[in-house]
Amino acid sequence: MIKSLKFWIIALVAIWIGNLFIADNMNPYFFSILMYAGINVTLAVSLNLVNGFTGQFSMGHAGFMSIGGYVAAYISTTWTGTHPDWIADPFLSNILFVFNMLLGGFAAAGVGYLVGLPSLRLKGDYLAIVTLGFGEIIRVFILNIDAIGGARGMPNIPPFTSFGWVFTLLLVTVFTIWRLVRSSEGRKFMSVREDEIAAEAMGVNTTATKVKAFVIGAFFAGTAGALFAHYLRYLNPQTFDFNRSFEVIIMVVLGGMGSISGSVFAAFFLTFVREALRPLQELTQLDFRMIIYSLMLIVLMLTRPNGIFGTRELTDVISLLKKKRSTS
Amino acid sequence: MSSGEIALQAKNLTMQFGGLRAVSDLSLDIPKGSIFGLIGPNGAGKTTAFNMLTGVYTPTAGAVASFGRDLIGPGLVRKPYEITQCGLARTFQNIRLFKDLSVLDNIRVSLDGNPAFETVSPLWAVLRTQRAVRSEEAKYKKAIELLKVFHLEGRADWQAKNLPYGDQRRLEIARAMATGAKVLLLDEPAAGMNGQETSELMATIRKIRDDHGLTILLIEHDMKLVMGICERIAVLDYGVKIAEGTPSEIQKNPKVIEAYLGTSEV
Ligand SMILES: Nc1ncnc2c1ncn2[C@@H]1O[C@H](COP(=O)(O)OP(=O)(O)OP(=O)(O)O)[C@@H](O)[C@H]1O
Ligand SMILES: [Mg+2]
Repeated sequence: MIKSLKFWIIALVAIWIGNLFIADNMNPYFFSILMYAGINVTLAVSLNLVNGFTGQFSMGHAGFMSIGGYVAAYISTTWTGTHPDWIADPFLSNILFVFNMLLGGFAAAGVGYLVGLPSLRLKGDYLAIVTLGFGEIIRVFILNIDAIGGARGMPNIPPFTSFGWVFTLLLVTVFTIWRLVRSSEGRKFMSVREDEIAAEAMGVNTTATKVKAFVIGAFFAGTAGALFAHYLRYLNPQTFDFNRSFEVIIMVVLGGMGSISGSVFAAFFLTFVREALRPLQELTQLDFRMIIYSLMLIVLMLTRPNGIFGTRELTDVISLLKKKRSTS
Repeated sequence: MSSGEIALQAKNLTMQFGGLRAVSDLSLDIPKGSIFGLIGPNGAGKTTAFNMLTGVYTPTAGAVASFGRDLIGPGLVRKPYEITQCGLARTFQNIRLFKDLSVLDNIRVSLDGNPAFETVSPLWAVLRTQRAVRSEEAKYKKAIELLKVFHLEGRADWQAKNLPYGDQRRLEIARAMATGAKVLLLDEPAAGMNGQETSELMATIRKIRDDHGLTILLIEHDMKLVMGICERIAVLDYGVKIAEGTPSEIQKNPKVIEAYLGTSEV
């Protein structure tokens, strides 16, 4: 068990060493893109568990992200008022942040269970419709709660999110989902995607399996929301509209449904593309993102309908290349 | 009737689809260790009977029991996965493998629900604790063992969809066995196979029954197979059981001949 963790532990150590100097030595603009890209990887990989590996089409990832973000940020800002000494303490504030992040994740997972159970019991694409509605409902709901700022948004969230935390969560998400899909649980997820009737006939409780994938996906979306909130330091319900969910879906589809490497790659790629388009957008006052995304999807469907990676992983590609080299 | 245990019992099963009574009042007693055939012309209701026995359809009336235990009946609904856990597993008339998964994983999905193997919580599986690793090793061993029975071990890492047709049919049987079920329901296992393959399949079905102590209920149109390996046969026509008996009794039964060949006037 420990031996198999070697790679992950080294990566974790590297992240925290990087945390010591990256923020101060990097162009702040690039640094912010890097941070958003890291958060987007967590979102894309966790959505891939639901949409790619389990084959259920969820369109409400931004909704879960907002729940996690608001829950965590609400507690943090409350403590800023009641216990400013906690927030100022560099060690304690990190502990509190992890606690809030987990709480945000669990809140999102709980709501995920309530949304998922009724819609996932049915066969067919009910989940897409229900999650689409859910995303809008949660947004309007937040818009109308004054205690968390309503339409004005929620300002003055303490700046807890560091490079270390963004990439630690990324690592934890990739680690968990990578190993999950390679376990008996993962085989259940994929059997549901492949053929729900056959999976059920082979003893798989398909409803429980789908709900499990959905709840795990919601959990990670919630924690990503908490990171996002404590990085931007300001939340607004508008941030979590359908476009946000759509963006994550595009990342999953572009990278390849059922490929974790693909989601990681696509999340980085699209975050950078979006930033590159920003000057153009400011110049013309038009939101080019959706046009570009749509064009990218069309090109993708024509050339690589299964996404850039398909269901393959980087490790498969590497071992394939090695094999080729040894035979030639 | 045989004095042994009844592995699978259908009690007055009826399935009504709107105005169509696809199966009416079907009763079957399938003795433990037997190979039992269910035959009948196209649309007779054979697959519908399987769907009721395995929990896919809730019968309009009637009950199902296995080894004396009530599985399905009035007020007693079980989902298909629960029926499988109770020891009945099936194959499908139109193959339903997990196409993009490997041959090995097709088997392992079933082994994951097999009560003979320890279930490991997802958290331990992610951490790859010793218990999780040991359970995976045991499943791998068992999977290869099962694949050997069907001569598929050399193709364990193929994607199921790339297998030749006959292998796909065999993999479906192996996958049903992997659930640990004691009763197998095979829906046209020889469909699309040539004569040679069908004969081999007959031998395999007999072998798994003997070696693994299974009871087999099979639907088949291939009369050579049915008459060759079934100890008893029931005949359905328009949803009604018109005959039941040994192969030689069935072959001589005038009702059966009429059902298959149409009225004797032709
Ligand atoms: N879900 C359903 N809804 C309505 N009618 C159905 C349904 N399933 C089956 N039927 C009808 O019930 C009848 C029996 O079908 P079934 O598939 O059980 O026949 P079968 O004996 O398996 O035939 P075959 O040998 O062609 O496989 C047919 O008339 C079929 O159209
Ligand atoms: Mg049929």
